[in-house]
Amino acid sequence: MSVVDLLTRFGDRYIGALLMTWRLTAVSFIAAFVIGMAVTVARVSPIRPLRAAADFYVQIFRNIPGAALLILLVYALPYLKVVLSYYACVLIATMLIPSAFCSEYLMSGMNTIDMGQIEAARALGMTFFQMIRRIVIPQALRSSVLPMTNLAVATMLTTALASQVPMNPTDLTGIVTYINTHATVGVMAFVISAALYCATALVIGRVGNRIDRKVRIRR
Amino acid sequence: MSAANASIRDALYEAPGKRAKQRIAIATAVSVAALAALLALIIRQFYISGQLNAKYWTLFTRYTTWRFIGQGLLMTVKVALTAAVITFGLGFVLMRGRLNPHRFVSGASAALIEFSRGVPTLLFIYFFFLAAPQFGLKLSSFWRITLPCAISACGVVAEVFRSGVNAVPKGQREAALSLGMSERRTFYRIIFPQAFRYVIPSMIAELVIVLKDTTFAYVVNCADLMQNAKVLISNYDALVSIYLVVAVIYILINYALNKASDLLARRPNRRNIAA
Amino acid sequence: MSEEKAPQIPVIELRHVDKHYGALHVLKDISLSVEKGEVVVIIGPSGSGKSTLCRTVNRLESIDSGEILIEGARLPEEGKKLAQLRSRIGMVFQSFNLFAHMTILDNMMVAPVDVLHRPKKEAREEAMRLLERVGVADQAGKVPAQLSGGQQQRAAIARALAMHPKAMLFDEPTSALDPEMIGEVLNVMTELAGEGMTMLIVTHEMNFARRVADRVVFMDGGAIVEENTPEEFFAHPRTQRARDFLNSLQDK
Repeated sequence: MSVVDLLTRFGDRYIGALLMTWRLTAVSFIAAFVIGMAVTVARVSPIRPLRAAADFYVQIFRNIPGAALLILLVYALPYLKVVLSYYACVLIATMLIPSAFCSEYLMSGMNTIDMGQIEAARALGMTFFQMIRRIVIPQALRSSVLPMTNLAVATMLTTALASQVPMNPTDLTGIVTYINTHATVGVMAFVISAALYCATALVIGRVGNRIDRKVRIRR
Repeated sequence: MSAANASIRDALYEAPGKRAKQRIAIATAVSVAALAALLALIIRQFYISGQLNAKYWTLFTRYTTWRFIGQGLLMTVKVALTAAVITFGLGFVLMRGRLNPHRFVSGASAALIEFSRGVPTLLFIYFFFLAAPQFGLKLSSFWRITLPCAISACGVVAEVFRSGVNAVPKGQREAALSLGMSERRTFYRIIFPQAFRYVIPSMIAELVIVLKDTTFAYVVNCADLMQNAKVLISNYDALVSIYLVVAVIYILINYALNKASDLLARRPNRRNIAA
Repeated sequence: MSEEKAPQIPVIELRHVDKHYGALHVLKDISLSVEKGEVVVIIGPSGSGKSTLCRTVNRLESIDSGEILIEGARLPEEGKKLAQLRSRIGMVFQSFNLFAHMTILDNMMVAPVDVLHRPKKEAREEAMRLLERVGVADQAGKVPAQLSGGQQQRAAIARALAMHPKAMLFDEPTSALDPEMIGEVLNVMTELAGEGMTMLIVTHEMNFARRVADRVVFMDGGAIVEENTPEEFFAHPRTQRARDFLNSLQDK
């Protein structure tokens, strides 16, 4: 099938698929970031059981394969009387896994903070929360821009899990199997999806680099 | 990573006073209660849905179950290791290309690296599964999962190799060249051996990514751990327990690999190379 | 100065302070007071506990027993009260500890605005005035890493001054500086002393101590061994340990 044929027959679907991939990526990344922050707060809290639970959470979702998690959500949860839509299952899988990595990056971002600056904040009379808000969080965030950029790309790659469940519209990976059921899927169908993925990754990378150059902490 | 984490965790807090100690004690009690409640809720959900029934779990006392799981695991390991060897090879070639002085070669390599890093493994898998046979590339199910896993990882591997090469001090190259070694010899005898030791932890971490990607083997009907789990499920009609156990196996393996990578990364003698 | 008046409440007073790091007894029964306007310099070999002593005054280090009084009131253990008290005691560190992600001006303003709730405009004006005074006003828009060590330390002193402290603690303020920058920091400190600032200074700069100190405290092995006017101390050290220490400095 030529590119022209492909685009006249499936052009709309590609647009829908691209938007689906973007939507899943954006929602998952933002959710992963929020969850990752919360988990990180728990991991650095002085409350030991909370720390342990958050550490456990990170190890689970950092190490579980995406397919295994999605299968558990889609097929196992209904046996436990928890039935979620396919979309919800995909979204949960693609936010939980990056959230664990997000927390890891935030933790290493925090480790770049100089102990002396924490003491200086204390010596200036900042309360614990003032110190966290003005010194710890800004520095941790600024030094994790590049890891977060990579995380956004990784989240985009994870959203290909959506192709493993029935979705309408499909995502950029699911669309090739969709085309395959309606016509013979040629190389071009893959090239278009791959190009759209790469372009998205490139844009994310550009934006991340630009932000990083702006906020990077000189040492 | 976790030992380094310990430092910032404790650096955030001052020696607690009486009131702080009290608050921590209360928060600890509350969080223990909350976590216990959560655990109880999960167990209750298993109980009321009948998933704690012995028939779902006794199959794990059988030798045949574990042999079947073991066979699947063996295939998973075979796929992962083969893909790793290939991806390290591809990554090395791409890294050499990326560092090549010819702009065309380095530009093309950079594009291939971005391509590999920007496309999900599943799309590569579907390519080898659906499109490749059309132009006569008929692969066995083993290669249908192994090749895409390797291709998908090689871009990152190339970048890791490159960062390792860049971390080797410039003086090493200059010293080798001034001893009369050729550029080529300098790279293979002096630069790369140091770079390689430097990137071993990242390579192990990369193995985790490859291993995770192999779970898509069910797409191409390769009898890996995930696929064998499916067969067990249809035999025993015990979906929840079997998928849970399989997930735990994956998590434990990846956890062990990541731990090994962390330990190697913290080895003190690596400093000599990095500095 | 202070001896002439009737007994006055000291700004800083330590009573029988003890501290251990595990088996190590780092502060042994330390009693010390710093009167208003007084400049006390603590000297001693490294590991003598002088830095730790300095850091207990605003509770960057906790103590095991004894009492620390600031203007006659016990140093609070924790919480808002401790933060409030710290906000009124300036501290200057060996490694400057300017906040790396903020400009010099923001470093100057963050605590006055956040902790003392001063209006931003007022805080900025005062910050610029202080930076002018320590000679780094032209660097206000830069981040710490763009400044020399001496400039960073002067900015750090200005940052502490912006809180209108009752007293200033200096924890080896010139130890991390290249020799050619030590003078500029000591000049600022000398000026401060001349203006009547209450200061507790840990330093290795003996000439500075001789010139500026009202009182020299010699520490060794976690205890105060000798306490005297600089003239007396440097001319006639009473203890063998102090003599050994001063001799070891002359050897260099």
